Amino acid sequence: MADRYSFSLTTFSPSGKLVQIEYALNAVNQGVTALGIKATNGIVLATEKKSSSPLADPSSLSKISLITPNIGMVYSGMGPDYRVLVDKARKVSHTGYKRIYNEYPPTRILVQDVARVMQEATQSGGVRPYGVSLLIAGWDEGILPEGDEEKEAEEAAGGDEKKKPSGKTGGILKGGPMLYQVDPSGSYFPWKATAIGKSATTAKTFLEKRYTEGLELEDAVHIALLTLKETIEGEMNGETIEIGIVGPPADHLLGVEGVEGARGPRFRKLTPQEIEDYLTNL
Amino acid sequence: MSSPFSINGGACVAMVGKDCVAIACDLRLGLQALTVSNNFPKIFQYGDNVFLGLTGLATDLSTVSDLFRYKVNMYRLREERNIAPKTFANLPFICGFDSIGCIDFAADFIVSGTATDQLYGMCESLWEPNLAPEDLFETISQALMSAVDRDALSGWGAYVYIIEKDKVTKRLLKGRQD
Amino acid sequence: MEVLLGITGRDFTLIAASKAAMRGATILKASDDKTRQLNKHTLMAFMGEAGDTVQFAEYIQANAQLYSMRNETDLSPSALAHFVRGELASSLRSRKPYNVNLLLGGVDPITHKPSLYWLDYLAALAPLPYAAHGYAQYYCLSILDKHHHPDISLEQGIKLLTLCIDELKRRLPVDFKGMVVKAVTKDGIVDIEFDDDKVVKSA
Repeated sequence: MADRYSFSLTTFSPSGKLVQIEYALNAVNQGVTALGIKATNGIVLATEKKSSSPLADPSSLSKISLITPNIGMVYSGMGPDYRVLVDKARKVSHTGYKRIYNEYPPTRILVQDVARVMQEATQSGGVRPYGVSLLIAGWDEGILPEGDEEKEAEEAAGGDEKKKPSGKTGGILKGGPMLYQVDPSGSYFPWKATAIGKSATTAKTFLEKRYTEGLELEDAVHIALLTLKETIEGEMNGETIEIGIVGPPADHLLGVEGVEGARGPRFRKLTPQEIEDYLTNL
Repeated sequence: MSSPFSINGGACVAMVGKDCVAIACDLRLGLQALTVSNNFPKIFQYGDNVFLGLTGLATDLSTVSDLFRYKVNMYRLREERNIAPKTFANLPFICGFDSIGCIDFAADFIVSGTATDQLYGMCESLWEPNLAPEDLFETISQALMSAVDRDALSGWGAYVYIIEKDKVTKRLLKGRQD
Repeated sequence: MEVLLGITGRDFTLIAASKAAMRGATILKASDDKTRQLNKHTLMAFMGEAGDTVQFAEYIQANAQLYSMRNETDLSPSALAHFVRGELASSLRSRKPYNVNLLLGGVDPITHKPSLYWLDYLAALAPLPYAAHGYAQYYCLSILDKHHHPDISLEQGIKLLTLCIDELKRRLPVDFKGMVVKAVTKDGIVDIEFDDDKVVKSA
C-alpha cells in the first residue's frame, strides 16, 4: 500500500533543474579525491584512504574494488552508497551477462548497467540519488584477431604516412584499456585521465599538464602518485594510499598452476609494500 | 514413432577442416512417413560466420530459431558488434547441443536428427583431419547424402555451407526425391 | 474425415474445403464453409476439433481486420502466416491448445505472387506450391506431385483440383458432401462454382 503513494523525490524545479541531483554532486565534491589514468598497456586508479582517528585500522578499509577479473572501480562521495553500487555491479555482471554468455561483460556494458542503476534512483519513487561518482577501469579483449588490428590501423592511416598508433587504445573492436566516469545522474564519460572529488579541478589541471599520449602503465602510476601528492592532506605511505591497476594478466593470483589457457585477473590492487616502493622512487 | 524428435524428421551435420568448417542439413519436412515439403531448410545464420543447424519437431525449429534471431539482434544492438566472431576467425569451431542444453565440443564432427546413427557411421569413415575447403565440401556432402538415403525420415535434397575465414559458400544438393 | 486442399498457379491460389460438418458418425450440415477471409487477398481454410476451428479462425480473422483498420493497409500473406503460426505456437504450450490444421492462401498485393502456407496443429509452418490436410494428403499429394506445375492457369488449376477430388470420392469411405472452392487472385477472392453432383465410380 505504502508504495502506491510513493513518488520520486527527484522532481524538476521550475527552472528545469533536478536539484536533488545537484545536491548529490555536492556530496561527491566534498568527497576524498580519486583519480584514474589510462596508459597504452593498462590503467591506474588511485585514491587517498583518510581516517579520522589515529585509532582507526586502515588495513581493513578498502575503497577500490574488483568488480570482474578485468574491471575495477573507485569512488568519491558517500562510502555506504558506494558499497551498495559495488554489490549491484558485481551482481549484474553475472545475472545480466556471465550467466547468459559464459564470459564477463566488456567495460562499456558494465558501465551502462551501473549507470542504469544510478539513473533509476533519479526517477523512482521513494528513493534518493546515489551520492557518489565512480571511476570504472577495465580491459576488454578485442574481437578483431591480432593480425587484423594492424590492418585496421593501416586503413585508418590511409595513404599518407601517418604515425601508426602503438598498441591497443581501447574500444570493443580493438580491445585494450577503458576508463569511464559515472555520475549520480547516471551519465557516463570515457576519459584518458580524470579525477573526481574535493580536489578534482586541481588534480585535472595537474593531469592535463602531465598526461602524454603513449603513456606506459609504470609512468601512469608515477603520475597518479604525483597528482595525489598535489592534493593530499595527510601523509603519503602504503597505508594511506590505495592503488588499483589494470595491467597484464596476474597469473600468480589464479590460485593454481599448470592449467592450460587459464589467465589471471588483469585488475588487482597494489599491496602497501608495492605502493611504498613506488613512493621511494617518486 | 510418436516421439517429438521423429515426427517431422530431418538431419544436420557439421565438420571441421583446415581453416574452415562446414555445416549441412537435409530439406525434408514430413509427418511420420508422409513427406509434406522438400524445401524446409534447417540451418539458420546469426552473424557473418555463425550458423546454427536444428533438427527435431518442426514447430520448435521455427520457435527456437526465431527466439535466437531476436536475442542475437538485441545483442548486436546493445554491444554494437556481431556475436563472437573472434573465436571463429582464429580457430574454426563447431559444437552441438542436445535438447536439454548439454553442450558437446567436438574437434571433428557433430551430427543431429533422425539420421544420427547413419551420420555417425558415415562421418567416422569419411572424415579425416585437415581437409581443405573443397575436400571438406565433398566429405560432408557424401556423408549427409549417404546417411539420409538410409533414413526414411530425412533426405529430399540438402544445403551445404562451407565457412572459411573471409567467405561463406552455400550449395544446394539435389538429392533423390523418394 | 475433413478435406482441405490448396493449389498455387501462375497468378492465383486455389483453396478447397469439404462441405460436411460432422459429429461422430453423423453429418450435421452439408453446406459448411471451412474458410474465412482475412483480408482482400488472403484466405484461410481450417479443420480439426469442433469448436476450436471456428473460434481460432475468427480470432485470427478479427485480428487481421483490426490490423487493416488501424493501419489502413493489409498484412501480406507471409506476414499473416507467421502471425498465425505465432498464435498457434503459444497456444500449443498453453493449458488447452487449439487443435486446428490450417491452409493459408494468398496473392501478394504488391508483387502479385501467389503463395500457400501449410500449418498443422503443432504450428509447423511450411510454404508450399500445393498442400493438403488430413487423409486427403495420402490420396492427393502424389497426384499433385505428378501433374502440378507452378505456371498453370486457373482453368488448369481447377482441372487439377477436380482430379484430386475425384480421387477422394473414389477412395474415401464416407461422403464429404462436396467442396467449397475459392480462388485468391490479385483482384480479390472469388467463389468458384464446383460440380458436387458428379458421380465417381469406385474402382
